[in-house]
Amino acid sequence: MRDLMRLPGARLIQHALLAFAAWAVLMWVNGSVDELTNYYLALIAMYATAMFGMVILVGLSGQVSLGSGALMAIGGYIFALTTLNWQYIPLTSIPMNGVWAMLFAAIGGVVFGLVIGLLGARLTGPYLAGLTLGIAVGIPAIANRFPGLFGGETGLQLTVPYPDGGYPAVAEASGEQFVTELPTSQDALPSAGASAGAGDLLTSDNFPSGDASALPSVAPGDLLTADNFPSADPSAMASVAPGDLLTVDSFPSAGATPEASSLDVSVLDPSTGTGTDGVDLGFVLERWEASLAIAVACIVGFIALNLVRGRQGRVWRAVRDDPVAAAVSGISPAGSKVTAFMVSSVFASLAGAVFVQILAYVGPGAFGLGLSLSLLVGIVLGGRSSLVGAVIGAVLLVWLPEFVLGLAGDRGWDEQVTNNAPNLIYGLLVVLVVLVAPGGIVGTLQALVGRIFKRTARSG
Amino acid sequence: MPGSETLVELTDIRIKLSGLQILDGVSITVPQGKVTGLIGPNGAGKTTVFNVMSGFLKPDSGTVAFEGRALKRIRAHRLTKMGISRTLQGVGLFATLSALENVMIGGSSHVRSGLLSQSLAMPWTDIETERLRVKALAALAELGIEDQAGRLPSELPYPIQKKVALARALVSDPKVLLLDEPAGGIGAPDMAELERLIRSWVPERTILLVEHHMELVMSVCDLIWVLDAGKVIASGTPDEVRNNPAVLAAYLGEEGAA
Amino acid sequence: MTQFLDYVLGGIGSGAIIALMALALVLTWRATRVVNFAQVGQAMFTTFIALSIQTLTGSWFIALIGAIVAGAILGVIVQYLVLRPVKRMDTSGAIIATFGVLIALQAAAGMIWGGDSQAYPQPFSNTAISLFGREWPLSVYDLVVIGFAGVLVVGLTLLFTRTSLGLSMRATAFNPEVARLSGVRVGRTLTIGWALAGVVGAVAGVLVAPTSAISPNSFDILLVFAFTAAVIGGLDSLIGAVALGIGTGLILSVVSGYSDSSNAPVVALVLLALNLAIKPEGIFGHNSARSV
Repeated sequence: MRDLMRLPGARLIQHALLAFAAWAVLMWVNGSVDELTNYYLALIAMYATAMFGMVILVGLSGQVSLGSGALMAIGGYIFALTTLNWQYIPLTSIPMNGVWAMLFAAIGGVVFGLVIGLLGARLTGPYLAGLTLGIAVGIPAIANRFPGLFGGETGLQLTVPYPDGGYPAVAEASGEQFVTELPTSQDALPSAGASAGAGDLLTSDNFPSGDASALPSVAPGDLLTADNFPSADPSAMASVAPGDLLTVDSFPSAGATPEASSLDVSVLDPSTGTGTDGVDLGFVLERWEASLAIAVACIVGFIALNLVRGRQGRVWRAVRDDPVAAAVSGISPAGSKVTAFMVSSVFASLAGAVFVQILAYVGPGAFGLGLSLSLLVGIVLGGRSSLVGAVIGAVLLVWLPEFVLGLAGDRGWDEQVTNNAPNLIYGLLVVLVVLVAPGGIVGTLQALVGRIFKRTARSG
Repeated sequence: MPGSETLVELTDIRIKLSGLQILDGVSITVPQGKVTGLIGPNGAGKTTVFNVMSGFLKPDSGTVAFEGRALKRIRAHRLTKMGISRTLQGVGLFATLSALENVMIGGSSHVRSGLLSQSLAMPWTDIETERLRVKALAALAELGIEDQAGRLPSELPYPIQKKVALARALVSDPKVLLLDEPAGGIGAPDMAELERLIRSWVPERTILLVEHHMELVMSVCDLIWVLDAGKVIASGTPDEVRNNPAVLAAYLGEEGAA
Repeated sequence: MTQFLDYVLGGIGSGAIIALMALALVLTWRATRVVNFAQVGQAMFTTFIALSIQTLTGSWFIALIGAIVAGAILGVIVQYLVLRPVKRMDTSGAIIATFGVLIALQAAAGMIWGGDSQAYPQPFSNTAISLFGREWPLSVYDLVVIGFAGVLVVGLTLLFTRTSLGLSMRATAFNPEVARLSGVRVGRTLTIGWALAGVVGAVAGVLVAPTSAISPNSFDILLVFAFTAAVIGGLDSLIGAVALGIGTGLILSVVSGYSDSSNAPVVALVLLALNLAIKPEGIFGHNSARSV
């Protein structure tokens, strides 16, 4: 069996099968759970994507970096800006779509990873951590500086680009939209995933019109109000005062507005995925987001497996263990560290591009220091140098806040306590793990299994 | 030394570190296919010579020439590609890598595949790895420790760890092998084997040896350079060096250590 | 030109606070070769304690004393419970542990005092001083801040140069093994170093709070500024931390004056990156920030 694994291409086949099996199982889950669970699934897959990179950077190459949140921001903004501003890829006649935008995000990750890596690869521990801390705080701040381009503090709304076949964009308005539940830097997790669609704000982007010309007076991303809403019939707006924000509730019903009815809109019922007109649209926003996040996580996981369980993983560990010995063995320590930075920032950028699609929004608040710290917490708890650990860490990051929320509901805790309990637990657990189980959950389990095996081997 | 070409030549190397003149015009030649020793009392600058040759220290003046060509800027990680390999004082093994993996890292200069083919696990990367694995096993076998291939360094006794480090330096097929205190911390039986091994490497490989253990140096070296306070004070065959009064003076009071 | 000078002068107050926080980072680095990324978290926590005392007693001064005591205790707790056991391990572990403490402290503060920004009472006049027929960009409060910073720096300098404790601390920072052999109680000296850092950080927190309000993570940005100053100053130099802390404050004040205060983090990042790219060991330092 071991000899079989040494055949050329065996690793490729094994890793591809693993990734495909994971994808198939997750897609089955994706199709059989409700949309709240799908939303969590999307978040877990997104975190895991970024944390695969952290395992390589922090675990294998031994560079404690807090820059991953900032690199996610870079991927997210590139995705948002290219999809919002480009109809076609510049200088070509290729129409833009989500896949191209993800590709651009990845390229952005390579470039920024290279820059940060060249700056950071020669630095020792605390200096690198401090530099990346500055990056985590500084890069989101840049978004505030250029409100015209980046949307400033409020960020940019974004229509998730759906695949061909024309998923109606109204799904976003009637389904969950998390703009109101923005993650603060304190708590990077958008906590109340279940916030209902009713009452959500309409913007010119999620307005149910495929045709931008229907909204001549508003810029992309603008909130729709009773004033700028392009209705010929003011009486249809009976229930709203001028200047009021339009919501799904106050939006004049399809019958009353000719424009709306001509758009052939089906308002989705978020609980079943069927339109209110009874037609099964087969589309739930969360399912789409989760399937996207899963696909990206599996592709990234496949690449990470290849690297970690191949020569490159050995090289990274060698440089981490002893840079001088690595150098005399013919490895450039700085070069291998830069490589780790590049790989991890590509992963982080892709995760960021997925993140903004889950949020349908991109803004500096989503990518603060808290996000970077969360990612670090995740891999430390899961197991710093293990890809499985990254997945476990990602599950922990999403599950623990929900668990605490459930606990708080049962015990009637103060909101102030409930909101902060997950981070308090994370912080204490991180300290505990560093002190007593540096290998995290996976490392500890491996050690336990190893001990049991040794014991049975001795007694047998 | 008559009858053999010079493989490595250091000319007038000077280096000052935090105000101290560590090397003060050191010129050394290493003849091809021979065992050359570099000795001297503690603080004489022996390891500094190695560090200059490995590119860890940049000399203030002087040149290092290899195969007759002066090396402009030495980068440590390029040396194995040129055919220069060194061991470190102590063992310097990678703690989380098995003995076999440690030795495989030593063959890094044979690897051609880049990051992209690595990240897609292209079949030729497997062929490369397999070739490296076979080579590393052969190096371990040459030192008689192939049965320890799967162990972590921490699970191995010190003399075996030193052998793994030797195998790691050998696996890149070096023309010249710089050994930094190979006898440090090992006992008499292992010493005899080390002597046998070093003899077996010449004349295919050229050896430059920094060593405190005088018995080993005197028995195995063809040519010896003696450093004291950053200067070459003597050179010649073991017999010539042994009877040199300047060497005796420098080592006075150091006999216990030797 | 006058405007430029006004901006420079206006930065002295915030520069003094950055200097104090940088000083706290340098103290822990000198003691244990760990950059305590939880330092601002400790300062935030003690400042909240001070705010509670202030609300209770109405005295700014008692609140400050309370923060100082709490800062020393917290410093000792963090060093004794977290960093001391982790010391034998890799530097990654120590760095991660300090971030764990930071996360836990911020969450604990959020639990106790809430996540919203709270105003901290302003004990002295914060309006521009009018003197010699013009308004100066300094307030009485700025002068108090500068005064406190000056007293602390002079006090620490005297401690390090004139007392046996200071000598032990310098010896330990230079070489713990040799210090141990010379009869210095190294463990205790290290803990005192962390306590001192906690005190300096606590004072900085109480001083900065009235100008910026306080919330569990309102000091994050101060960490970036202080780290920048400490690193450019050389990380093990007290003088360097103070000089570069004030310098950073002046630069940021000028940048904020001519453009916008939200540029400050980016400017600090650029300064830090330039320093690490060109002269990573800092201006006053002898650390090696680079590996092979």
